[in-house]
Amino acid sequence: MDTLYELTDLSKRYARGKETITIFEELTMTIPQGDFIAIMGPSGSGKTTLLNMLGGIDRPSSGSVVCEGVRVDRLSEGKLAQWRSQHVGFIFQFYNLMPTLTAAQNVELPLLLTKLSGKQRKERVATALDIVGLADRKGHRPRQLSGGQQQRVAIARAIVADPKVLLCDEPTGDLDRVSADEILETLQLLNKELGKTIVMVTHDPSAAKYAQRELHLDKGRFIEQVQESV
Amino acid sequence: MFKQTGAISMMNLRSLPQRAGMSLATVLSIALVVAVLLGFLAMADGFQKTVDGTGSEDVAVILRGGSQAELNSVLSADQFRVLETAPGVATDARGDPLISGELYIAVDGIKRDLGTEANLPMRGVGEQAPHLRGQFDLVAGRMFQPGTNEIIVGEAVLRAFVGFELGETIRIGSNEWQVVGLFSTGGTVFESEVWADIGVVQNLYQRGSALQSIRVRLTSADAISDLEAFAEADPRLNELDILNEREFFAGQSRTLNTIIRLVGWPLSIVMAIGAFAGAWNTMYSSVDARMREIATLRAIGFSGGAAAMGTLIEALILSALGGLLGAAAVYLLFNGASASTLGSGFTQVVFSFSVTGGSVMAGMIMAIIIGFLGGLVPAIRSASVPLLTVHRSD
Amino acid sequence: MNDLTLIRKNLFRKKLRAILLTLSILIAFLIFGVLGSFNRVLNAGVELAAADRLITMNNTGFTQSLPYAYWGRVQGVEGVRNASHMSWFGGYYQEPTQVVQAFAVDPETFLAAYPEFLIPDDQRQAFIDQRNCLLIGETLARQYDWSVGDRVPLLSNIWQKTDGTSSWDFEVCAIYAPSMEEMSTAAAYMQYDYYNEALSFNQDRVGMIVLNTVDPAVNDRVANEIDAMFENSPAQTDTSTEAAFSQAFINQIGNIGLILIYVVGAAFGIILLIVGTSLILAISERTKEIAVMKTLGFPAPRIFRMVLIESVMLSLVGGLAGIGLAALLLKGLATALAGTLPGLAVTGGIFGIALAMMIGFGIITGIAPALNAHRVRIVEALGKQ
Repeated sequence: MDTLYELTDLSKRYARGKETITIFEELTMTIPQGDFIAIMGPSGSGKTTLLNMLGGIDRPSSGSVVCEGVRVDRLSEGKLAQWRSQHVGFIFQFYNLMPTLTAAQNVELPLLLTKLSGKQRKERVATALDIVGLADRKGHRPRQLSGGQQQRVAIARAIVADPKVLLCDEPTGDLDRVSADEILETLQLLNKELGKTIVMVTHDPSAAKYAQRELHLDKGRFIEQVQESV
Repeated sequence: MFKQTGAISMMNLRSLPQRAGMSLATVLSIALVVAVLLGFLAMADGFQKTVDGTGSEDVAVILRGGSQAELNSVLSADQFRVLETAPGVATDARGDPLISGELYIAVDGIKRDLGTEANLPMRGVGEQAPHLRGQFDLVAGRMFQPGTNEIIVGEAVLRAFVGFELGETIRIGSNEWQVVGLFSTGGTVFESEVWADIGVVQNLYQRGSALQSIRVRLTSADAISDLEAFAEADPRLNELDILNEREFFAGQSRTLNTIIRLVGWPLSIVMAIGAFAGAWNTMYSSVDARMREIATLRAIGFSGGAAAMGTLIEALILSALGGLLGAAAVYLLFNGASASTLGSGFTQVVFSFSVTGGSVMAGMIMAIIIGFLGGLVPAIRSASVPLLTVHRSD
Repeated sequence: MNDLTLIRKNLFRKKLRAILLTLSILIAFLIFGVLGSFNRVLNAGVELAAADRLITMNNTGFTQSLPYAYWGRVQGVEGVRNASHMSWFGGYYQEPTQVVQAFAVDPETFLAAYPEFLIPDDQRQAFIDQRNCLLIGETLARQYDWSVGDRVPLLSNIWQKTDGTSSWDFEVCAIYAPSMEEMSTAAAYMQYDYYNEALSFNQDRVGMIVLNTVDPAVNDRVANEIDAMFENSPAQTDTSTEAAFSQAFINQIGNIGLILIYVVGAAFGIILLIVGTSLILAISERTKEIAVMKTLGFPAPRIFRMVLIESVMLSLVGGLAGIGLAALLLKGLATALAGTLPGLAVTGGIFGIALAMMIGFGIITGIAPALNAHRVRIVEALGKQ
């Protein structure tokens, strides 16, 4: 399998008043294309920070993040925004949909950053909503949808621009078991059928079971547990 | 209920600094509305004060019948002589009648503020003229010498026009005049005038012995009817208008006063609607920001009415602050400021802006109304905050 | 969907807030539109003034008259193409309160001096030929329902006739129309000779002399030459351009311009405060959404632009409504005030200024929130739950 991400000697430190807080230090890892990783660990272990660096919305204090040969941590803000729009899709715990837009419009949002025509965009949106099984809800606003449905809209938004990587931050943290399983099955499907590389931060051991492998982050270090997928 | 309201109001006010930006914007916008209203009212009141204060009850102004204004009137020296001996005319210590035949010419002066030409009245007066103006006071210099090119200048003229300083020689038209005195009349219209000897004015402006107006001091305000009866009976006088001086001037301020108020009120009311929208918006945001707090209070037993009153009181305090600020600003910046406009008779009347208690009251009432209306709907809303809000996590 | 869809949806997301802000912007522009139009009409005399017209009046002040002979003498000054004169009649109809702005003029030279008076040829000739002819404006004709052929007595509150009365009898024989919107048609004009011969005093005097020069370039020279000519006469003259004369007359009423600046300034101060703070609040409420947009790859400048367009759009919606309302209001007032302030309307010029102000206002109120949006840091904003 080709390598997608290469993280080398990655460190992250914050200054809080006079103290310096170290999130993690000299982290090195590779993520191959088509992987589905669940990152677990206690609060404050740096899971989300790591995810943010993979997504290019946070920068390391030292070390490098390379994605397909691109030094992501060295890109300018403008270039980084463009890179994000083409390479990564984000899925958040609280969905973060635009309350004023319909499901379809929310999904269409990332496509405003492409040169696709209105018609092409419409087709893409329809396909994405189809994949997550919400084709019949495209005119609804987030407020009119259940938590699970909102998260599925968020997934559709994450995949609509066809990125290689999906970064999920506690995607089931706000959902009941049934909805959570549906979401995880959808993610698994995207990984297996469409070959999306998925990095998922989660607290939930049963959610982690859906991944190809689990990484435990503790005090800035990984403890890997490879497992068979369900 | 009262106690609850007090508690909630205090809480609201203590949290005001968190909403400082919008609250300050509301206070300032209401202050601006009140300032505009008071500005216009101070202008109207100031003008009215000057003009209305001008007339005396016991002075009669005599004009040609139907002429309405001094500028249009023509009277003869004969008529003046007949009136000298008329009944009801008061006399001075020496037994001379208190009567003055007058003639004024609108001459050009240069205004200080705009630097442009504007008319000021040069009034030719008789010797007794000072005794026909209630509070005449020669502030500096001396009276003009009859028969010379000497003038005395009203204080307001000095304030509004260039070149009338004591001792200056000023050229008006083709004539030169020497300023020998400065007079005040207690803030009345006459202070906007320049006085010279009637004979000299008649002569220089080729008026022969013609006069425009005759003023007499009456033995009492009621004596005007004796004068009227006398004039009615004399064929030389029966075409004349004999007017109580106070009424004569009161009529003159009416038009401008009405115009200023007619412009000022609607303008400030329309602006008040704008400020009202702002107050509403601010109070709405205030309630929004305190949703959870209000719900908590309701959950522990505070009544909806108390929550509503708390919001309303916050709005009223903000608007009252705005009103006071606006009134204070106008008072400090404009009260007593000098302005002038074209009075009746095509000459400038100099007056001072006057911020009166009545108009401050009107301004405060307007501010309170804005606050009340702006706070009303948000207050109702805060009374109906669902208790569940307290549990909501986001 | 495009950026504009997003902007529009954001603008009206809180309907009540949007309506209240629109209302306050509307009011500021309503005030601007109405006061601006009034100011323009008040100053119309200055704008309408013909560049080649000069006014000669008594140096003492405009209520003083000039000897009739001056009219003849100024005609000889080189560069004067036409000279006419006007005298204030102080007229009223029946009651002293029914004021009629009437002037006694020399008909032929008067018509030549003011080509903007539109009069049918036969009526124009009647005004020149018929001694008791009264030329009246359309507004005046409408006011008293006068038409050609009507016999109208006008009274003067200044002048008296030798017979002791102050009433002159006229026959309306000409009615003039305006050739420009702002032109007043509320005045009446009579033959000078008819008025002068009956006067009991002040005979053979004229109020002011109106001159047309061959070219505006010679105005200064002509004015100086005329004033010099009467330097040593009992009645000295002051000659100025018609524009300067009109300006001076407006200034007599007071510093109206300054008052208007204060009022319009206050109105805009109010909305600047209200709209400015509300938009800052509105954007700070959306911090998280902006962070999400940035995460999706929307570049910061694009978000900056969207917020700025949002505030400009708000300003345009409120501003256009306000100017529209001002136009409607003035349309109603224009008929009522046709006599005193003709041509009251929101003109293209005022609309242009208002439009520029709307855009400027939108940018001013939008710049702070747009900068805030530009500065939103994704990690921090998303961290806020």
